[in-house]
Amino acid sequence: MHAKTKPHGKKVSTYCYQCVNGPDLLTVEVIDGVATRIEPNFDLRGEHPADGKICVKPFGLIQKTYNPNRILHPMKRTNPKKGKDEDPGWVQISWDEALDLVAERLKKAREKGVLDENGNPRLAFTTGGAATPFKYMGSFPAFLVAWGPFDQSIGAGGTVKCYHSEHMFGELWHRAFTVLPDTPSCDYIISFGNNINASGGVTGVRRHADARARGMKRIQFEPHLSVTGATSSEWIPIRPQTDSAVLYAMLHVLMHETPLERLDVPFLRDYTSSPYLVGPNGFYLRDPESRKPLLWDLRSNRAVPYDTEGTEPALLGPFRVEEAIEVGPDEETWNHRNVEAPTALDKARALVSDKSPEWAEGISDVPAATIRRIANEFLEHARIGETVEIDGRVLPYRPVATVLGKSVNNGWGGYDCVWAHTMMQVLVGALEVPGGLLGSTVHLSGDTDWDRMLTVEPGEDGFMKHPFNPTSKEEWERHPVNRHAEQSITPMAGHNQGAQLFGATTLAWLRLQGRAGQNWPRPKPPDVWFVYKCNPAISFSETEKICEEMAQFPFIVAFAYQMDETVHFADVLLPEATDLESDQLLRIGGTHYFENHWVTEGWALRQAAVEPLGEAKDFSWIANQLARRLGMLEQYNSMINFGVCGVPLQGEEYDFSLAVDREHDQEEVWDAVCKAATFELTGGKEVLGLDWFREHGFKTRPFSRLHWYLFPLMQDMGLRFELPYQERYYRMGRELANRLHEEGIHWWDRQLEEYEPLPEWRDINRIYDEMIERDCGANPADFPFWALTARSMQYAWGANVSVQLMTELSENVFGHDGVVMNRGKAREMGIEDGDTIEVISPVASVTGTARLREGIRPDVVLMVAQFGQWKTPHARELKRPGINPLVPMNLDSLDAGGAMKDLTKVKIRRVGEAS
Amino acid sequence: MTRWVMVADLNRCVGCQTCTAACKHTNATLPQVQWRKVIDIEWGSYPDAHRLFMPVGCQHCADPPCMSVCPSTATGQREDGIVTIDYDLCIGCGYCMVACPYQARYKVTRPHFAYGDEPMPSEAVRFDEGRMGVAQKCTFCSDRVDEGLARGLTPGIDPEATPGCVNACIADALSFGDIEDENSNVSRLLEEKTWFQMHGELETETGFYYLWDGGKQEE
Repeated sequence: MHAKTKPHGKKVSTYCYQCVNGPDLLTVEVIDGVATRIEPNFDLRGEHPADGKICVKPFGLIQKTYNPNRILHPMKRTNPKKGKDEDPGWVQISWDEALDLVAERLKKAREKGVLDENGNPRLAFTTGGAATPFKYMGSFPAFLVAWGPFDQSIGAGGTVKCYHSEHMFGELWHRAFTVLPDTPSCDYIISFGNNINASGGVTGVRRHADARARGMKRIQFEPHLSVTGATSSEWIPIRPQTDSAVLYAMLHVLMHETPLERLDVPFLRDYTSSPYLVGPNGFYLRDPESRKPLLWDLRSNRAVPYDTEGTEPALLGPFRVEEAIEVGPDEETWNHRNVEAPTALDKARALVSDKSPEWAEGISDVPAATIRRIANEFLEHARIGETVEIDGRVLPYRPVATVLGKSVNNGWGGYDCVWAHTMMQVLVGALEVPGGLLGSTVHLSGDTDWDRMLTVEPGEDGFMKHPFNPTSKEEWERHPVNRHAEQSITPMAGHNQGAQLFGATTLAWLRLQGRAGQNWPRPKPPDVWFVYKCNPAISFSETEKICEEMAQFPFIVAFAYQMDETVHFADVLLPEATDLESDQLLRIGGTHYFENHWVTEGWALRQAAVEPLGEAKDFSWIANQLARRLGMLEQYNSMINFGVCGVPLQGEEYDFSLAVDREHDQEEVWDAVCKAATFELTGGKEVLGLDWFREHGFKTRPFSRLHWYLFPLMQDMGLRFELPYQERYYRMGRELANRLHEEGIHWWDRQLEEYEPLPEWRDINRIYDEMIERDCGANPADFPFWALTARSMQYAWGANVSVQLMTELSENVFGHDGVVMNRGKAREMGIEDGDTIEVISPVASVTGTARLREGIRPDVVLMVAQFGQWKTPHARELKRPGINPLVPMNLDSLDAGGAMKDLTKVKIRRVGEAS
Repeated sequence: MTRWVMVADLNRCVGCQTCTAACKHTNATLPQVQWRKVIDIEWGSYPDAHRLFMPVGCQHCADPPCMSVCPSTATGQREDGIVTIDYDLCIGCGYCMVACPYQARYKVTRPHFAYGDEPMPSEAVRFDEGRMGVAQKCTFCSDRVDEGLARGLTPGIDPEATPGCVNACIADALSFGDIEDENSNVSRLLEEKTWFQMHGELETETGFYYLWDGGKQEE
């Protein structure tokens, strides 16, 4: 019956890492050299949290490979004039010519010095997909690192479309670049717009479905009824950007309407800074001798250093301290005698003393009774006092969690929200213990993103050590290196290898446009800009201005899959082998990103299931060619040996290193990496090469669940979580203010206000209204709607808008094809489903099809995913509107961490009838 | 006796369309032909609105309305309950498409592909001329079931013997098995959970069951 539709070909094991929830291990069926079909890798059952299932995106990989719109030959621009309306005049060239062109530009840049006259790197590299493209770049990162300083600050959407405040503070507080509930044990989750069913990948979906099946409750606060709200116990349509009000009110319930004894007193007392005493200037009171923070010991009835043995620290004060010092910014010191001192917990209580549920109701549209009920349900479900044994160790069992979504946990108010929701956990002792809120991975506090525990070291004042960018007079970076000045202006971003990605990428664009950073020289565009798997012309904000700026860049090299809105401005196009056509070994398992907590860890191979189409080349080959042309083979090979491909090729007991003075093809590189990786994984018992991985796909070993939780390590090291009080952050902010003001810089003053030891509640609606008035010169009353966006599982991070299958599938999920509006509100405005409407923000307008629905607030419109393509084949014909052009990009929209939100106030106008 | 049935747990389904995609891969259906898909349903009114995802497709009815209207006897039924279409007998009249209460049938009269009239290599390899101009629908992957059984495997348990959509479901919402076996995975689910059949009032006795606890638990 199905002779042709059911052929059996060979199955090749590989992975999909199109989004941060990957890699998803899969098999590709290949018939006569043609990839035809994708399936989960069923061998992973029992090892993977979702039994090896794969998300919807990998099913698009076949079309992604054979898409007739692919660029399959190197090309160069012949029209020197760049512009949205200019025809680039592409002509096909040979690889030799293309690589020579690129190498020549790079050589010239190198001859002039890797930094330009402003001290900015002449080479810049931009990618998207939350850095997952690095998992497709083969050995190219070794080329970049061998090059020297390269600028990654010219963003494609990171810091606008990410969980930025959670990244910053999450890592500081509990080594949590992203956070997640311990879903397999959690009973009660309060979610403020966390869209786990779209953003959490296969493992997120599966773990939450399992949890629902055993009775876990999830309360979804969100302005629209998302795919996650759909499967939640309750949907509460909160007014946009008022999440912090509800969170503060819940803290009020727990701290002012609940006796302290009902909270987790031992956790607060022994594992947080709650008992530390705070001085009149807002810094900890310290012992004059040891300079250690003081707490009040109820046994001796006096203030003692926090680490004094045999004490019983008081949680609530205030107390009168005989003698103490405070240490402020720049070592400014105050001596105190007989000073009254509240505890850090007293200060946190005071912060929310007037933030009652009744107060929050008026702001958030959430009834006070609902807020109070949910706060109390959270407390009841926390099972304070109970324990559970995990792999032989008894740990607290606290099955409750609060989670935040994007645009709740970044930009203005992000600090407020992440502080408040982490405090919810702290009050009931549900941080980094079974059932509670956990971290996943790290990017700021270390390079060992596969094992966040390796980054934990004792630091000052009983907390974990953290790599802030220095703000002291001696060490502060006075002259910004990268174009977003992350070392100079965002101390929380740190300065490790990946830190650049978390600086103020918006500021880089604003500075290039001459719209910010007046005291510093206006940066020049990079001499050479590499772009790969990203499309800032669509994915950034105020995209028209981004296009104008890109047109000024002198030399853009695009690793180009197809023509798109960013490629349109490029000079040379290099077609790289795509997902099913190239090789790379990758770590899997352990704890990684959202809900990727595995019981195994190991390595998996992405391999060429089919030959690259046309002249597309594996990234490692391209890296090799460039390194050779630039005479950098030795540095490049050395970086591979050093471990840039995932694991050092030489260790104390093994040596698989490559000869540095000659070229190695990708097979040699990955064979060595496979061997080093398996040596490391098996403790030298097995050394498995590339051929083994080609056949078997992956290699794992058990990973203890005890390693999911940070608490035991904190306990062993005698460390405290740095909550509730943010003394270091406060001091750092004051120092940064001093440094900037010494340079005469005042344009960052608004951001400096955010460096508070406890975040005073901010009215984000008012902040945005003021921005419309001040920065856009418009009347906020003219923009009565919030325009929001939401992630789509079919598209998130996938760079797959041109994949027809995704179009077809996404049409089954409401809202992808237009602008979602509340039905009642729309009809009030004379708008019917299918009508064309114009969505107008203070900076731009877009048109789209009105899609009417009950599950959305009347004061909100929603545009799912990122559309608005005008060049990308297939996508441009969809005429789906995107929110990004509408989002105003200005200095005032940035928070202290340099992040902004991808939302805006808008007005709506009906412009056409449904056809 | 065996009767193969599908069970969809609506408390688990998140509407991600992974099953839709897997079905298209498994069965090489052309664009816009979705033997399996998940529909996105909303009910109630703001602010008391609700949203639900429901996998749909051929329900493999015990008393299939499509079969009784088929003038060419192309639509048939196997002993194990799977409703079939013999493409060689089908005359493409479309009566079955109208008769099916579940809108599960498709007809494609002319080849069309993801990017226009020309197939990509992956589409060319798997294109089946026999499906042009005839009714088509979900087969419960009867070929996988049959081949699996021949190899001693258990449909619904062993991936090689199980429909592609079930294999792919990331929420573990879809199950497939023999309802006549009281110890089977599907029998146990139907014993333990609350369920319904779509358009039960039509008495088609579908081979597709929906687990549903009635919606939100509000306290």
